[in-house]
Amino acid sequence: MADERSFFETGLDEPLIVANEPRPPREKLNPPQWLRKRLFNSWYNSAVTLVLIPVIAYLGWRFFSFLVFNARWDPVRNNLTLFMVGRFPRAELWRVVAQVVIWSSAIGLAWGAAVAGAKARALRAGLPYREDPLLAKVRRYGALLVIVGLFLAMTQTWGPLIIFAGSVASAAVLQFLGSRTAAEHVAFLWAGVAVLGVAGFQVVSGFYGNGWLWMGVPIAVAASKLVGRIEWSSPLAARLARLGGVAVVLVVAYVAYMVIDHRGVGWEQWEGLRLNLLAAPIAIVLAFPLGVALAIARRSSFPALRIISTGYIELIRGVPLISLLLMGQFFIGFFLNTTTPLSSITRAITALTMFTSAYIAEIVRGGLQSIPRVQVEAGQSVGLRPFTIIRLIVLPQALRNVIPAMVGQFIALTKDTTLLSIIAVADLLYVRGIVHAQAEYRAFGIAETLVFVALIFWAITFSMSRESQRLERKLGVGER
Amino acid sequence: MKRLIVLLVGLTLVVGACADGGDNASSLLDTVQARGTVLCGVNDVLPGFGIVDDAGNFGGFDVDLCRVVAAAVLGNANAVEFVPLTAGERFTALQSGEIDVLIRNTTWTATRDGQEGSTFLLTTFYDGQGVMVPEASDVTSIEDLADANICVLSGTTTELNLTSVFNSRGIPFNPVVYADNTGLRPAYEEGQCDAWTSDVSQLTAYKAAIEDEGGAAQRILSDVISKEPLGPVVLDGDSGWAQAVEWAIMATVQAWEFGITSGNVTGFPTDDDNVRRFLGQLDFEAGLGLPSDFAVQVISQVGNYEEIYNRHLVPIGLPLSGSPNDLWTNGGLMYVPPYR
Amino acid sequence: MTTSTDKRAADPRIAWYRNVRILRVVVQSVFVAAVFTLLFWLFNNLINNLDRLRIGTDFGFLGRSTGFQIPYDEGFDPRSPVRDMVLVGVKNTLLAGFFGILLATVLGVIIGVSRLSTNWLVAKLAAIYVETFRNIPPLIIIIFFGFAVFTYGPFPVLSNAAEIRFPGADRTGLILSNTVWGIPSFLAGPNIGVFWASMAVAVVAAAVAFGWRTRLHERTGAPERRARWSFGVFMVVALAGLVLGGDAFSISWPELSETRRRVVGGFRLNNGFISVTVALGLYTASHIAEIIRGSILAVPKGQSEAANAIALTGFQRYRYVLLPQAMRIAVPPIISQYLNLVKNTSLGVAVAYAEITNLTLTSIGNGRPAPQSILVLMGVYLMFSLTISFLLNIYNRRIQLVEH
Repeated sequence: MADERSFFETGLDEPLIVANEPRPPREKLNPPQWLRKRLFNSWYNSAVTLVLIPVIAYLGWRFFSFLVFNARWDPVRNNLTLFMVGRFPRAELWRVVAQVVIWSSAIGLAWGAAVAGAKARALRAGLPYREDPLLAKVRRYGALLVIVGLFLAMTQTWGPLIIFAGSVASAAVLQFLGSRTAAEHVAFLWAGVAVLGVAGFQVVSGFYGNGWLWMGVPIAVAASKLVGRIEWSSPLAARLARLGGVAVVLVVAYVAYMVIDHRGVGWEQWEGLRLNLLAAPIAIVLAFPLGVALAIARRSSFPALRIISTGYIELIRGVPLISLLLMGQFFIGFFLNTTTPLSSITRAITALTMFTSAYIAEIVRGGLQSIPRVQVEAGQSVGLRPFTIIRLIVLPQALRNVIPAMVGQFIALTKDTTLLSIIAVADLLYVRGIVHAQAEYRAFGIAETLVFVALIFWAITFSMSRESQRLERKLGVGER
Repeated sequence: MKRLIVLLVGLTLVVGACADGGDNASSLLDTVQARGTVLCGVNDVLPGFGIVDDAGNFGGFDVDLCRVVAAAVLGNANAVEFVPLTAGERFTALQSGEIDVLIRNTTWTATRDGQEGSTFLLTTFYDGQGVMVPEASDVTSIEDLADANICVLSGTTTELNLTSVFNSRGIPFNPVVYADNTGLRPAYEEGQCDAWTSDVSQLTAYKAAIEDEGGAAQRILSDVISKEPLGPVVLDGDSGWAQAVEWAIMATVQAWEFGITSGNVTGFPTDDDNVRRFLGQLDFEAGLGLPSDFAVQVISQVGNYEEIYNRHLVPIGLPLSGSPNDLWTNGGLMYVPPYR
Repeated sequence: MTTSTDKRAADPRIAWYRNVRILRVVVQSVFVAAVFTLLFWLFNNLINNLDRLRIGTDFGFLGRSTGFQIPYDEGFDPRSPVRDMVLVGVKNTLLAGFFGILLATVLGVIIGVSRLSTNWLVAKLAAIYVETFRNIPPLIIIIFFGFAVFTYGPFPVLSNAAEIRFPGADRTGLILSNTVWGIPSFLAGPNIGVFWASMAVAVVAAAVAFGWRTRLHERTGAPERRARWSFGVFMVVALAGLVLGGDAFSISWPELSETRRRVVGGFRLNNGFISVTVALGLYTASHIAEIIRGSILAVPKGQSEAANAIALTGFQRYRYVLLPQAMRIAVPPIISQYLNLVKNTSLGVAVAYAEITNLTLTSIGNGRPAPQSILVLMGVYLMFSLTISFLLNIYNRRIQLVEH
């Protein structure tokens, strides 16, 4: 049976992205009216304004002059590569460049596929769909663009600018093409995203050893979905064909890895900002299935499942992340009988995953609670098994409802990756310490490098929280 | 329901299959030889002993001893992977198997031998604990440090010695404890501490570094608070690996005693059977698991003890002659058993 | 309908492998067995590895002596057992937590309400504050205070500390340096018992006044003014007690010792404590400001309009209409922010503040067994969070709107 749905469709005939609605008109005030209304509307407010204006002006002038005139920015400017990738072997930096280009293409393709899917759904539901104009898109990511622009200005070489322009160009082209594809072909786009994602990962770590399993699985899933789209003669044949697709992909991956056996730079050597940006998504992706399972277990009718999952969740949520990271550092290796010891980063990501899974479990539990019992009863009345009800009816709605909370958790996790510096894993903050351990920058530029690091985190999390607010508004979550 | 049962039974089987313990019977020596690299825990911020230069290369006295071990066990002094560690995490790295050997200016004490699951090998550097103050301060001995803030590293013998010595002499003090020297050094230089206590070798190294980089002049007090024998550490219960490492390092001292240097090791003229046996020219097998020419590899690729010492420690102000690290024939403490 | 399903379930003719009740028990037992097997296997590995390394597997290390001196805690004897070190760590954590919570609440409420001000400048400044501090990792703020403000900052070395006098006082009121700050404190004098007695009497008198005004209001309809009356009675009785008792307190002024290396007297705040408290206070204040703003906005607009319709002033509108309803929504998230603040004090490791995580790491570095020490550490934090969750649950149950 042809399966027209794409990976991320909720299975409900509702467009995920609502058409842009017109906003109520804003009042227009000319300057004197505005001053009177906003700054001097009562004696109290006038007094406060009159006190604040000189104070702000003075502080602003001091801060601005510090930033532009007195600050020593050379610790930042001369160590940009160190900040971005840490002590990554300089001869292998081409891998990082390739990864950036491949992943921005993947992001562009995914964005295009999402837009195409949304358009198709809007069309089916009979609603109009208007894409954001380009200016609005640029404004959304203003903070990030400013930071990237500052960074590029500091490098004072052409390389990073070319790389940045290339990545943006390829992302834009793929987004454009993707958003114009017809609805039935969107599944191919998502398969392409999976392949590109995997390729971006592997171009850095290399093609050897057990990587075939990690990387084969997403492509196998994509393949099975694609194979399922073909019209087969019977359901049995479809099932066999899908299994066959999965098997073929896995076998090909295995053989390819054994043959190529090309070692790249393993994740023990991923450092700097790159580590922060990669650790958070990896932890969330690994923690997501575990968290969903825990949430379902916590609400199950079996007391054993409930007690065990509640115990785990409350235990992990009650302790600070640093203690879990220390536990990982000091004795997680003792729990397993591995022949080779786990690297620092593996242990850190294990601890991060455990931590995140408990928080995701709580979020998903809230989402599950928000689904009216009627849905479950409707599923039961049609004769579905409990697990099928959860899989096809409850979970899609629940996950859609908690998207803003998930994004909030992702933001918090990105900020928490700075804790890796305390256990001597070389993230951006730790690399800052390395910069200041160099003889020339020992006592200089302390505040400047800290401001630089803070600015990078601020730009990333600010953009993400803006996106989350936008998404909340579009999904209509929280409106009564 | 059926599916759930199948799932859980499968889970139990999987867990059961993993339940047989790992195979601990082989020695670390075989593992290292199979792996082809030695994982060596070192310092990366201590000038002279273990430090990283701008290009990311490790260098120093302890670092060279790591290369000695690699040259002896694997025949290639560069087959080493350096794992930088802070004082607080060095023993857990050894316990968890993250490193094969810890050569990181570590003091040999009874508690560490007994409780940290580690075994100390020969002492490669006889040191003591001292105190450093800025030259401009008026402190001349420890008694002048009443009520002082004293910078010290966490997780070191210096921390414990500081407490016991000052308490037994009745001198009140306040320890300012940092996890590593990258945090401690700025605090000391900016005056948040009145004094810095550590091994005299560390203080000498940092005194040289601070003064070379334009900082204030420093004075190391003449009081030596305790004995600090520094040496390599391996994991308990693996005598094969321990012996291999120990004899590899002892070869450097033995070569010094014989007068063999990296310059003259090839074609070293000798009639002495002891020297010829040492250089692997006789048909002799000590059963240490090392190749017969390990001494030649060590000396030619890294050097003898005196060369290593002169390369790294003399430039930072630690003279060899007259110190306890001199050869026993010169009145020092470096005395190794014969290779026979 | 239900009876027939019950009968079916109990019907002996249904095979056991299709009987739902039995299957539920079987499945749960299998699951519990699997989990316990897994845990047992993990635990067994842990014990085996620890035995192999001859590290102790018991908690006896808590009774052995600590061996090291705790920074900025002159009273701690290094020979005391590790248990006492843990208590000192807990005390330091709670100190930083308490003052951080205080700062965060005050600042958070001010900024949260400012964000809703009609004054554009005030609202924008508050918005900038919130958006800045919410999006920066707290560790960076702590490091900023620890290093940029203290180590490399404007404060002088302790021997040259800035000794500031309050106008009109003859002794130094404030000592500022880059390691220790000194502020005045109160010392108990010889008549301290009189003070406590008069405080107790004052509290009782205030309660009596409270009850009296309530009954008066119910009987005659006179305005209650309970808070004013009980506060006034309390102050009068307490001041009378202070004056009559006399000499209950003395003020302890901070000053430098003769060696000029220590501050004696007064409250001594070390730079780690100040960095952690101020940094976490600023960070958490931004979250609390957002929560307060959100909760005030969540009160239906109709309430504000009704208040305006009966001509309440702005202050009255907040006090009688908005804040009571907003607090109901705001209190649970604010309490969980408090918990986060206490957990974030563990970041004091970065600035060498002697809270429980830092002390645990130091003791592990000095040879105490790592797994047990970290379990003790986790247990301490679990105690905090379980206590706070418990209190929060009680509060929630009491204020929940009873819906019929």
